[in-house]
Amino acid sequence: MAGVITVAVVDDDRMLRDGIRSWFAGVEEVDLVACAATVDELLAGPGEPPDVVLLDLMLRDGRPVADNIRRLRAAGSRVLMISVVTDRDRIVAAITDGADGFLTKDQELSVLVEAVGEIAAGRTAHSPELAFALAYDRGPARPRLSPQEREVLVGYASGLTLKATARRAGITANTAKYYLDRVKAKYQEAGRPTYTKIDLASRVREDGWR
Amino acid sequence: MHHPFWGVAIKGGRRIDTAETGLHRARKTMVIATALYRGSHLTAGGAVVTQHQRDRLFPWLALVAAIVATALIWFMAARHRRLVSWAVGLDVLVIGCLLPFGAYAWGGARTQESIAWVMLLGGSASAMAAVAFGARLLAVAVMLLVATHLAGYLLVEADASVTGAHLNAVVFSAVVSWVLTWYLCRQGERVDSANRRALAAEAQRARFAERVAHHNALHDTVLATLTAIARGGVDANTSMMRERCAREAAYLRRLVEQADDREQASELRAALEESVRAAEALGLRVSARYHELPAVPGEIALAMARAVTESLNNVRCHAGTGHAFLTAAGDSGRLIVTVVDRGRGFAVEGAGEEGAGGSAGAETSGGSAVRTAPARRSGIGLDRSVYARMRGVGGRAFVDSAPGEGVRVELRWPA
Repeated sequence: MAGVITVAVVDDDRMLRDGIRSWFAGVEEVDLVACAATVDELLAGPGEPPDVVLLDLMLRDGRPVADNIRRLRAAGSRVLMISVVTDRDRIVAAITDGADGFLTKDQELSVLVEAVGEIAAGRTAHSPELAFALAYDRGPARPRLSPQEREVLVGYASGLTLKATARRAGITANTAKYYLDRVKAKYQEAGRPTYTKIDLASRVREDGWR
Repeated sequence: MHHPFWGVAIKGGRRIDTAETGLHRARKTMVIATALYRGSHLTAGGAVVTQHQRDRLFPWLALVAAIVATALIWFMAARHRRLVSWAVGLDVLVIGCLLPFGAYAWGGARTQESIAWVMLLGGSASAMAAVAFGARLLAVAVMLLVATHLAGYLLVEADASVTGAHLNAVVFSAVVSWVLTWYLCRQGERVDSANRRALAAEAQRARFAERVAHHNALHDTVLATLTAIARGGVDANTSMMRERCAREAAYLRRLVEQADDREQASELRAALEESVRAAEALGLRVSARYHELPAVPGEIALAMARAVTESLNNVRCHAGTGHAFLTAAGDSGRLIVTVVDRGRGFAVEGAGEEGAGGSAGAETSGGSAVRTAPARRSGIGLDRSVYARMRGVGGRAFVDSAPGEGVRVELRWPA
């Protein structure tokens, strides 16, 4: 990827924001441009929208997560959800609403930087916790997964590396990643039913940002 | 952590849910009582027909009709575990109300003696109606029976005393059977609600025991750490302190997630958590995730937990990584637990031996048994403890690895 990735953090815990600031200070490929307690605060701030926004899954700003994700995406950013605990229903909902990845806050810096890089490049930041939430999703609106997609998802959710997941399934790592991407895509498709012409118009606009 | 109470509660729950409740037993008793009553009337009818009316066709037809109607009622009662009102209604109308007129018209029953056995069936019909019907429908049924039987006895010009005694019997069959039903059902409901309360109390006690265990753990870990930092004089930014905080945060995280999952607190989960905490205490970071754990017997939970402890130990000692993943999920009645690391791994020898090929594989589908071998073949200390332990309780263990790709131990029960 060309150049430095601009990143913002939206989290109402100041200690965590400070922690992330000092973390990213030593990382060359990432430039932390903004820290905010709410999405409103971030969007009201000056400057270009950042490439990637780290958004707290359980922000107490009174706004629905779906709303926050949509507004950030509308502003031109991509969203990586972060959270202290893995509330599986909320993770699935966030992915359906357009987030491109999920990480718990206890990850190491290298994992976080890699996830930011993936998302900035327009890909998905896969993690075992996200895979687990999707693999064992029992929500009524969950999309149908093919047996291969399920096998890869469950394998990756169990903590295997992508390479080991692929080896067990008898496929290449690239194919395994493709399956994981497709699962996410299915969720995002399922989360965007086209009902009306207005919906359709906004869908086209949304697709423009992809 | 072993919860003796919880086991009782689960077993109790199964007993109450699948077997019959007190209400069921009450209804069954009434089905049997009315069946015996009807049986006595059919026996009496059979005796009269074979002795005095065997030359005529209609009495035989009437007897068969009564037996068929009764059989239908019993068949429906057996299926629904209670008297079914439409079947009883049919019996009241056909056997109770119409049959006496049939006996008069085609059966040549012109005397009170010859029609009496047909009339008797009305008594058991009214008794069954009292069990199957509500008050209003029962009143209609009894009035119909009384009216038709009065008409029938008037046709054969019976004695007023015989008529009176019979109608009295019809009415009081219903009354007695209604009172009995009411009383038994009330007792049954009381037993049921007492059982429910006992069950709830057991569950409450299990929850309490678990909470006490958690409180103790919180007290020894998170609270102690926070208190020490708050008091000052402790450098919170040492690697030892950070590790301790990370470990305790992991514990709290799982605690919160458990509450979020709305999953039943189970013995199995508690046992697995114990293994995880033991490994964490020795410095291993464990990402543990659970999904819809099935209720398994205590010894299975214990065997699983010990196998997990062994697998986590193996990660700690041999994998060259400080991080392990534990997942435990129910998969259509089968429990599948995996312990995975992303460490150095090893070359699995002897794949294909010990039936390793076919049945081994991932949770979701077959055909993924690539280099999956029974734990016995791994040769790194997983031998006896994991493989034999799982076999001993009717489960199985598989170990899969490749150099540089970590190790995956899968435990499943039943095998």
